[in-house]
Amino acid sequence: MRVEAEADLKALQATGLKKLKPDKPRIAVGLATCGAAVGGRKVYDRLREAIAREGAEIDLVQTGCIGYCREEPLVNITLPGKSLVILRKVTEADADAIVRAVLNGKVPEDKALCRVPAWDHVTGFVMEYGKGFDAIPLYQDVPFFAPQRKVILRNAGFIDPEDIGEYFAVGGYAAAWKALHGMEPEAIIAEVEKSGLRGRGGAGFPTGLKWRITRDAPGGAEKYLVCNADEGDPGAYMNRNEMESDPHMLIEGMIIGAFAMGLRHGLIYIRSEYPLAIERLGRAIGQAREYGILGENIMGTGLSFDIRIARGAGAFVCGESTALVASIEGRTGRPHPRPPRLTDPEGGLFGKPTDLNNVETWCNVPAIVANGSGWYAGIGAKGNTGTKVFSLVGKVDRVGLVEVSLGTPIRTIVFDAGNGGANGKKVKAVQTGGPSGGCIPLRLFDMPVDYESLNKAGSIMGSGGIVVMDEDTDMVDIARYFTGFATGESCGKCVPCREGLKHTLLLINRIQAGKASKKDLATLQEVCETIAATSLCGLGQTAPNPVLTTLAYFREEYEAKVRP
Amino acid sequence: MDSHALDAIIARYDVPDGRLLGILSEVQEQEGYIPHDVLVMLSEKLGVRLSRLYSLVTFYSFFSLQPVGEHMITVCMGTACHVKGAEMVLSALGKHLGIETGMAQDGKFAVTTEDNKFTVTIARCFGACSMAPVLSVDGNLYGYATPENLPAILAEFGWREHES
Amino acid sequence: MIYGSAGKDHVPGKPVRVTINGRQYRAEEGETVLSVAIREGIPIPHLCHEESLDPYGACRLCFVEAGKHGKREMVTACTLRVAEGLEVTTDTPTVTKHRAILLELYLAEAPKSEVIKEMAARYGVMKTRFLKKMETDDPLGGKCVLCGLCVRACTEIMGAGAIGFINRGPYTEVNTPFLEPSADCYGCGACVKVCPTHAIVMEDSGSERVMKSWSGTRVPLAQCDCCGRYYAPKELAARTLSALDPQLERELAGLCPSCRGKQIAEREILARQGGAGNHA
Repeated sequence: MRVEAEADLKALQATGLKKLKPDKPRIAVGLATCGAAVGGRKVYDRLREAIAREGAEIDLVQTGCIGYCREEPLVNITLPGKSLVILRKVTEADADAIVRAVLNGKVPEDKALCRVPAWDHVTGFVMEYGKGFDAIPLYQDVPFFAPQRKVILRNAGFIDPEDIGEYFAVGGYAAAWKALHGMEPEAIIAEVEKSGLRGRGGAGFPTGLKWRITRDAPGGAEKYLVCNADEGDPGAYMNRNEMESDPHMLIEGMIIGAFAMGLRHGLIYIRSEYPLAIERLGRAIGQAREYGILGENIMGTGLSFDIRIARGAGAFVCGESTALVASIEGRTGRPHPRPPRLTDPEGGLFGKPTDLNNVETWCNVPAIVANGSGWYAGIGAKGNTGTKVFSLVGKVDRVGLVEVSLGTPIRTIVFDAGNGGANGKKVKAVQTGGPSGGCIPLRLFDMPVDYESLNKAGSIMGSGGIVVMDEDTDMVDIARYFTGFATGESCGKCVPCREGLKHTLLLINRIQAGKASKKDLATLQEVCETIAATSLCGLGQTAPNPVLTTLAYFREEYEAKVRP
Repeated sequence: MDSHALDAIIARYDVPDGRLLGILSEVQEQEGYIPHDVLVMLSEKLGVRLSRLYSLVTFYSFFSLQPVGEHMITVCMGTACHVKGAEMVLSALGKHLGIETGMAQDGKFAVTTEDNKFTVTIARCFGACSMAPVLSVDGNLYGYATPENLPAILAEFGWREHES
Repeated sequence: MIYGSAGKDHVPGKPVRVTINGRQYRAEEGETVLSVAIREGIPIPHLCHEESLDPYGACRLCFVEAGKHGKREMVTACTLRVAEGLEVTTDTPTVTKHRAILLELYLAEAPKSEVIKEMAARYGVMKTRFLKKMETDDPLGGKCVLCGLCVRACTEIMGAGAIGFINRGPYTEVNTPFLEPSADCYGCGACVKVCPTHAIVMEDSGSERVMKSWSGTRVPLAQCDCCGRYYAPKELAARTLSALDPQLERELAGLCPSCRGKQIAEREILARQGGAGNHA
């Protein structure tokens, strides 16, 4: 069926709700990549066997990930009229007990992480699950969730990402309908501008402005709209989860953008290391076409817009916009000097002006259109509106994806959500922004996480990776690690990056081997400053940040290793 | 891979965007590497200079010019894995399999055991950081890898302690 | 205009005035600051620039400080387009400082290159603190700085595509695919001509031209029908001649430039001798 009237969308929502909140029990297993790998897949299989054995009337589905990775595998149980209950650390051995409990109208409370009486899916729909299970803590009382605000991960871990019906159920594609049928393109761009949304890929460029520039560029509809899904920062996986858990929200964001900018061709450039995300996106695109949401005459508007997937082939530098374009065009990812920018005439993909936004940027768009720019601008801080998903990993107790309002202090993320160091160790620093970011010491943890504060501290927002270091972490080794990474991922085009990083790595290796002198430290600082100042693209310009910040904040660790 | 098989892959890519890398990725996936003769054939079929294809294949780490072993082990070298001891896992893996785990001349990392059973390579990040250190065997992820639990993982793929 | 077909027709841009190191120069809109500097004899070091190719921005040596209304930022002169009122300073303390480090990196990367040594010395850099690259079997003899001009000349100017970049990052090199002799090379020597550090070795030996740096690629040379000398790569000779004058007589096509000259001169003399008879 094709969505051609608002009533179609309402009907699909009603049908979807019967799946999401059926009149029989429903068990949903978190099967994003990591949930599946830590045993979720086996749990799913055992549950299926148990249900079949019992001949039970239970719906078994898969869902994405709510982000509490430490507690995986996670399993949701919905009993009619009762609160949704999330079970934690479920193993194969628990399958029979779960099915038996569910058949008796119960849940295994010893396995329960929390209960969810109602859930706001943000784009205009609040799911009322029901009451009950009062002994189980409420979702918002779980310390890991307490400081969080879910806007981007609004559906993650609740709906089946492979079923467009469940996306309809939670109000999916209603924002696209509103935009395409009730708003002028100019009004949408104005809304996005007023919302204050900035690029979530790391640089923080105002999204609405980028859209405006692209729309005003010559080329008519034959321009490109591209989603950057080349999430390259090691230690960052929020984009993977967004695509694996809720692929339709990305598609919906792109549709709204395409309409606002008047474009027909959409592309998602995704790294090949994410096979499940590629599979689910492919499936979601297929479903959207089936319902007339992508392709010709979308949602009965007479407009055409379609999305294709282009896969990367293993190159971090292809997250850089000009290298990304080169890669899609079938060339090596060697950046070219800007200008021309992608949005310039002849500057983008196949010589056409091109709008490039990160996965998470797109995911914000339906929420902005559904609730208005004022609502969005009310979240976060001035100039840094909205939420951001961070991957909190490394030597932290509670590992996972944490979505908080921008401007939240690092301390809240690491200590309130993350509960500090793992195994009782003391936290020493965090590294934000991947290989382009820097190390921020504990004494600066009251700093709000926003684009400007992180830059001032010598780091960057990047895609949102936060890697926690504890008292045992050797900060020189961290600098060596990131320099090694950047050296291996340098495209090799310009000398400061190609040669400068190589010699930076050699110098750090000398320091680690106890063969360096104080003079070498000065050389290290000098060469890093030159790499930052003279490299051709963002990769090179930011690659020295891990060294420069550890030199600034943990100089004593370097000095302890060098001869006077 | 013969000419027909290559034609079949090429036929799936009828639009310019993502075409060359898409075709090369499929060759890599089907063959486990990019054979010399296939690259030459591809150059002739597409009318793309061999130098350009060779540049692509050596630039992107997903492609390999060397045949790989029966099982592909990829050790994640992401940040979370690094701080949790990925390098120790890698070197233990090298010891168990009797191979050197150092960087090759071309900057790529792929070592195959003499019996052609295993190829060990590294990834920059699987994005499965919550269960670091992570490795994958034939595409299946294994979390919380340690030098100690490696033998059990390897044994699933026919490796025996005495072999090394 | 023999090579006119290959070049773009020059449409003069709007005249603008640009200030470099306090002096005003006339330039055309669309020109880069580096092009103007080269024309006016203002020294700005560079390695990857070639007037016939688009700006590439790889060598990072041509940094200057530039801006309008007193504002200044560090930019590469090869990518900076002139504009009315643009002010440029070539040797500020910041530029000098970073350039010195870059030159040290070049000295380490191409330790055998006299061109690099001289360039570094001109800017007061006599030695490098970085470990020098020492490879015994480097086909480019420790002189290559990976400016990319050879690859671009081969691909973009000549359309041959015989050589390309291999690998990435510090492992990057330039050579033929699979490090095997290339069937796409026709020995034109454009790579040799554009190489700023004279790193590429090309030798004519008997009936062949040997591209020693490019995996020993051998290209057959055309032999002069008259004197028997080998004078140019066969395919190149054929291409060039057809580009020159498709009407060229067959007998002329098989001759080396020197014999061709003689042949034309002889004809001219013969013709004139004939003509002189008429006058007499």
